[in-house]
Amino acid sequence: MRYLILMAGVLAAGFGLSSPYQIQLLTFIGINSLLALGLNMLMGYAGQISLGHAAFFGLGAYVTGVLTAHFHWSPWLALPVAILLTAAAAFLIALPLLELSGFYLGMGTLGFGMIGYVVFRQWSSLTGGDSGLVGIPSLELGPLSFADAKNYLFLVWAVALLCIFLCDRLIHSRIGRALRAIHDSERAASSMGIDTGRLKVHIFVLSAVMAAIAGFLYAHLVSFISPGSFDFLVSIRIVTMVVIGGMASVWGALLGASVMTILPETLTVFTEYEMIVYGLIMITIMIVIPQGLFRGILDIYERARFRTGSIPAGPQA
Amino acid sequence: MNAQGSGQEAFLPVLRLEEISRSFGGIQALNDVSFEVAPGAIHALIGPNGAGKTTLLNVITGSCPPDTGAAFLGDCRLNGRKPHERVSLGIARTFQNIELFGSMTVLENVLVGRHVKTRCGFFGAMAGLPGCSLEERKARQRAHELLDFVGLSEAADWRSTDLPFGWQRFLEIARALATGPKVLLLDEPASGLNPVETSTLCDLLRKIRENGVTLLLVEHDMNLVMEISDRVFVLNHGMKLADGTPCEIQANEAVISAYLGRERMGGKCSACAI
Amino acid sequence: MQEFLQYIFSGITNGAVYAVIALGFSMLYGSTGLINFAQGEFVMIGALSLISLWKGVNLPLPLAFAGAVAITAIAGAMLERFAIRSVKKPHPIVLVIITVGASILLRGVGMLVWGKDSHGSPSFSDHAPYDILGATLLPQSLWILVLTLGVVLGLHIFHKRFLTGRAMLACAISTKAAGIVGIPTEKMVLLAFSMSAAMGGIGGVLIAPLSMSSFDMGMNLGLKGFCAAMIGGLGSSWGAVVGGLLLGVLEALGVGFLSSGLKDAAAFVLLLLILYFRPSGLLGTASVQRF
Ligand SMILES: Nc1ncnc2c1ncn2[C@@H]1O[C@H](COP(=O)(O)OP(=O)(O)OP(=O)(O)O)[C@@H](O)[C@H]1O
Ligand SMILES: [Mg+2]
Repeated sequence: MRYLILMAGVLAAGFGLSSPYQIQLLTFIGINSLLALGLNMLMGYAGQISLGHAAFFGLGAYVTGVLTAHFHWSPWLALPVAILLTAAAAFLIALPLLELSGFYLGMGTLGFGMIGYVVFRQWSSLTGGDSGLVGIPSLELGPLSFADAKNYLFLVWAVALLCIFLCDRLIHSRIGRALRAIHDSERAASSMGIDTGRLKVHIFVLSAVMAAIAGFLYAHLVSFISPGSFDFLVSIRIVTMVVIGGMASVWGALLGASVMTILPETLTVFTEYEMIVYGLIMITIMIVIPQGLFRGILDIYERARFRTGSIPAGPQA
Repeated sequence: MNAQGSGQEAFLPVLRLEEISRSFGGIQALNDVSFEVAPGAIHALIGPNGAGKTTLLNVITGSCPPDTGAAFLGDCRLNGRKPHERVSLGIARTFQNIELFGSMTVLENVLVGRHVKTRCGFFGAMAGLPGCSLEERKARQRAHELLDFVGLSEAADWRSTDLPFGWQRFLEIARALATGPKVLLLDEPASGLNPVETSTLCDLLRKIRENGVTLLLVEHDMNLVMEISDRVFVLNHGMKLADGTPCEIQANEAVISAYLGRERMGGKCSACAI
Repeated sequence: MQEFLQYIFSGITNGAVYAVIALGFSMLYGSTGLINFAQGEFVMIGALSLISLWKGVNLPLPLAFAGAVAITAIAGAMLERFAIRSVKKPHPIVLVIITVGASILLRGVGMLVWGKDSHGSPSFSDHAPYDILGATLLPQSLWILVLTLGVVLGLHIFHKRFLTGRAMLACAISTKAAGIVGIPTEKMVLLAFSMSAAMGGIGGVLIAPLSMSSFDMGMNLGLKGFCAAMIGGLGSSWGAVVGGLLLGVLEALGVGFLSSGLKDAAAFVLLLLILYFRPSGLLGTASVQRF
């Protein structure tokens, strides 16, 4: 139901909007939603952090960029390569780090993000270095050309909605419950027979792959990518989206992505204060409502509902 | 749940510990502890604070590997197996300081317990395979049965941490039972319960045993221990002090001086009527 | 030989700075079990405050030094008082997000206060460089080494000789038990935060004359300090010093065959390798919390 409403909304917006600027903004919201959703699966559900998600985003973008612009591959062939490479990188990072407590994972992913950024900048024969990679072709599928901004908007949102749908299913399954169990108490989770280490690696890889897909869509949208789009601040922006949207909420990811895409665009003075605003948002929300804004409001509502129910009799054998 | 073994099998211990030692820095938490748990019985593990009871449970569940010694479930050697593997082999536990999944409802807590009895993976869940939905429905049904069993079915949709303290202990038991254990380890299930709840717990433990689950119970409430257990094992300073029926333990001089104290002597001994 | 010696000198100089930053990580971890992702920003604040106070306001160097360190100590204390202490459920992920938030906030403030330009600082004294076996040793290097040694010894004496220092160690072993015997644990955490921030500030003051300072210098230095602390084993003071020096020398020797951009990446690769293979540190025996 919610999907239908959202789909109708996107369609209406797509046909209703005429200004290319607004269409592009909406497309970016879609791409950012993918990023936020992926990180939310990791942070909100499994309770693990990644401060280097921009590197996975960048890996997706650069792999498809290099393969299509330099080697003239078809983007549809480059996509699986980008996904596989990112998955492999995420797997290698996650395998040892997820055994350690949260602080080390934070530092490790931060370090990985920096490595990614340095590689994008330094491997200039492939990536074009600081001056960037140009000539990434736009997508085409048979007679359908996604060079048209509206078509691209629909493509991005179709992918985003599909991902939201799949993640929603995952969360309400046995795996989703196990992930939340890990978040709540790792000790209790493993005493329920959950292989916590394995599951954490899997969700980390899933999260990275979603970032890579976002990177793929981003690269073919803008056709020019440079390291600046994948630096530390981008990782922080993704974390902030999750924090705003609420840990553990697929729909919150959408909200967080929208806020974080529209806010910098509407407040032009924002660039000066961007970092201060992100910092304040992260600190305040974590102190006041650590579940995140969206989830926090939802919780209050749910609790109020159950409180009014009748009091059961309690355990009787 | 597993039916109680019959004939000769009944004599094989379901759980066996051989010369387990474990130290934390300078503290010898367990020192050469060996004991056997017979199937289908209620065993109690008692001892003063810091005796090493929780550590022993941790050794059995695998969250705290022993320095030396071996543990067996049936014929299966447990050493080197991860905690989650041991759960699928049939060991379940509750915690001394209740550890529920606070973000979940009561029902969901029990559903997590069904994890080892279900198979559906990442792709199955995302694709919404019919097998997965069927499995999920069965798991929910079983979870509701278990909530009924411990008497919490009316609170199924509550946030687990909103439950009164005593009920949380019952929920932990239901959650542990959901894993379909052969052996259930309970760490001080009666602590913090009022007398009414304690007697409910006593009945519940008997019902669990009737279902063929072997119980190993760490407990400070002597009335409960003496009334319900078939065998009592006493630990002191990480060492085995005594092992016997409740009557034998109550009469054991070493146990009395180390732990029970004089005033317990006159206490009832209903289990000894036989 | 001469070139080699030159690399060693510059490596030890940088390494001593990493060591001071690592000490900040280590002592905070030792006394509270936290890792502060804003540590690098304290380095930035220390460096830029020194430049402002010394060259901008024309304070004498010792006063400027003290002032810069005091500013970072206050920033650290405020982080603890207004953010960390208010956390209800100290799940690591919450603390990571808060300190990362603080780091980005401080960076933003730094950009507002000092602008986007880089600032340089002269050496602490204008002696001529010393010539040792053909390699030049800058007086600033000596300053750095002496001050680093002073910090390490000071911390050691604080922990061993002073009641407050011992109380802090007690909190590290068990906050609960320390509280029971009457140690004001909240104050200890506050003190630990401001001391570790002050160490970051000292690191910044020391590095200011070595290279240009700007609002975004913090993350690299913070990560390197953390890397040094991990090499030595998080929580161990001497480990932090050895780790810092080792990292500095390795980096300096690496310059020979790595471009300066890749040099940074090399330190992070080293960090990942340590996290993988020796999370308790190359030298440390402290056990890392594994789940
Ligand atoms: N993880 C640990 N690290 C260090 N020491 C530990 C650890 N776990 C247990 N100990 C020590 O081992 C000893 C036995 O502890 P244990 O928790 O097993 O006792 P217990 O019999 O369960 O006590 P209680 O009745 O209070 O629950 C105690 O001295 C305790 O301090
Ligand atoms: Mg115990």
